[in-house]
Amino acid sequence: MTKTAIQVDHIARIEGHGNVHVVIDGGEVKTVEMNVVEPARLFESMVRGRRFEEVPYIASRICGICSSSHVVTDLLAIERIFGIEVTDRTRALRDLLVYGSYLQNHATHLFVFAAPDFLGHKSVFPLADEAPELFEQALALKALGNELCTKVGGRSVHPITAVVGGFTHEITPEEYLELAEKLESMQEFAVSAVDLFHSFECPDIQTEGDMLAMGAPNRYAVSDSRMARFIDAALSFDCDEVDRAIEEYSVNHSAALCARVRSTGKPYFTGALARINQSWQFLGRQAKLAAAKVGLRPPERNPFNNNVSQAVEIVDALERCAELCRRLANDEFEGSSEPVPFQVKAGFGVGFTEAPRGALFHELELDDEGRVVRASIITPTAQNVANLEADMRILAEKLVADGAAADEVQLEIEKLVRAYDPCLSCSVH
Amino acid sequence: MNENTNVQGTSAVPRVVVVGLASCFGCQLQITNIEAHLMEVLGQIDLQYWQLASSDPMPEEFDVAVIEGAVTTEESEHLVEELRQKADTIIAIGACATTAGIPGMAAEGFIQRPGSVYDLVPEACGEMISPRAVGSVIDVDYEVRCCPIDAYDFVDVLQRALYGSNKIDSTATMCGSCKRNETGCFYTKGVMCLGLVTRAGCDARCVNLGRPCNGCRGLSPDANLPAAREACRAAGIPVEDFDKALEMFNQTDPALRQA
Repeated sequence: MTKTAIQVDHIARIEGHGNVHVVIDGGEVKTVEMNVVEPARLFESMVRGRRFEEVPYIASRICGICSSSHVVTDLLAIERIFGIEVTDRTRALRDLLVYGSYLQNHATHLFVFAAPDFLGHKSVFPLADEAPELFEQALALKALGNELCTKVGGRSVHPITAVVGGFTHEITPEEYLELAEKLESMQEFAVSAVDLFHSFECPDIQTEGDMLAMGAPNRYAVSDSRMARFIDAALSFDCDEVDRAIEEYSVNHSAALCARVRSTGKPYFTGALARINQSWQFLGRQAKLAAAKVGLRPPERNPFNNNVSQAVEIVDALERCAELCRRLANDEFEGSSEPVPFQVKAGFGVGFTEAPRGALFHELELDDEGRVVRASIITPTAQNVANLEADMRILAEKLVADGAAADEVQLEIEKLVRAYDPCLSCSVH
Repeated sequence: MNENTNVQGTSAVPRVVVVGLASCFGCQLQITNIEAHLMEVLGQIDLQYWQLASSDPMPEEFDVAVIEGAVTTEESEHLVEELRQKADTIIAIGACATTAGIPGMAAEGFIQRPGSVYDLVPEACGEMISPRAVGSVIDVDYEVRCCPIDAYDFVDVLQRALYGSNKIDSTATMCGSCKRNETGCFYTKGVMCLGLVTRAGCDARCVNLGRPCNGCRGLSPDANLPAAREACRAAGIPVEDFDKALEMFNQTDPALRQA
């Protein structure tokens, strides 16, 4: 029997640097590795000794796409330590910021990174000629996510206005209304994108790992709940307990730390697919309809359906953000967004949000001058790498059993990696 | 010059590669964020390699290399040297590439840092070296500053690289921008702002939104550090805090050691 080694160095159209290494020997899948070779920037060591105000600013630089999420998560950790209660208006603005990054991230990932795979291209650019309407609408959707982040955060990458206790700047009610209209006008295209991504053919595989997502009793929470939940293990925990629930470990072939459920030892998936499984019933009306139409509902365990899940989340985000913008314009939220006063004190706290790519935890310990004693950042992709490798193996075994050639195995594995929407710069940080 | 004439004077469309080193990828994203103009910009160049957007491999020959990120491994040091040899024009984009930026913060006491994050540093990390700006490894022809870059600044610099320009980059500090914008000065409120010593050019974007400058454009060669420290004292701001804050984007700048 023959021995085949598949080696993809520097897999393209993902954020960051990673290689795939698969060895198939005598019809048996021997090795499956996702080498994360992203340069380590050592953020946890960098923020040590720095004042709390600088920490969200620095942590934002972990990742360009998820920068809003890193900022909000760090603010939540700091506010937990200082005992700061922000206003409802500030909470609404943070939701907008996080959702803005969903629009940016999901549109970029789906159309620029993932879609070319299914349309037989190496990049999105040929679509400019081939499917100009799709290309333009996709870019317009991405641009709208940028605009939302720019209007709320002051910039599409690395927000400026979000600080401890509130925001330093807000747009006018007219601008909120204008945004609401733009968001609503994008809805039709977003709904059609759910159908489009559903129509792409994907291997039928089921992940065997657990799933982790933010939980809340009555809503599709992304930035305002402290409760995280492992769905299979039926284990809910407060984010301050993250170290007891999640076990981080290192492997030699990856610069990113890996993660597993501490109590069961299983790897797990976090991201849009896990959120859909956790909070499907709380999707907005149009998003739920779009999901139901393509048959996306819990339990859904095919990791390729993370793509469709993201498309559904775009519909959901547009609906939610339009409503938030209208309510902000009408001044329906309690309080102003001006930073609330606070007292610096020592302590430990964890911030938790659902970043576009999944659960994001920032653990912070501050001294009584508000300087960082210890920081630990657990990113979605770092959590996903172990489960991705497990799914790559399931996929490779299935394809080999079906008699697929090496180049087909390689292409499908690359597709799977992209379906996970990994952010390797996040995962290493 | 006709519109397909590049800076080397040949008639071919300039071949461009975009390479990412240690960074958050935010500057490359900013390039994709010029959505409406993306195809106009791409229409002027032959984009031969852009890993973030395409699975085409890096070619052997090209004219312009756009580099994002700081140099943090021996592997990336060799890569930028190779890019310098192959490309006629090097454009460094973003704080990481131009000042070593946020990754550069790890330069202080670098040797102990990997061991403080990993129990055992994985082989996949490569041969890590103390972070440095691209310009401290090779000669850089054009810079686009800020963290992240402004997408239109990038288009402007790309035009200059492709078609030539006699524009000289200003080295002035930010204060003139705030005076023109009439946004007032944080120092009058006892709040530290690094615009006092940071290169102008962003129109004081953060200050305009109510937030002090964090210095992402890098220390201005015209900065008067002793006078800035005096301004801190006068405003009741600890000078140590000012010096510490400056490290954020200037850790590897020798000017900080001298002054």
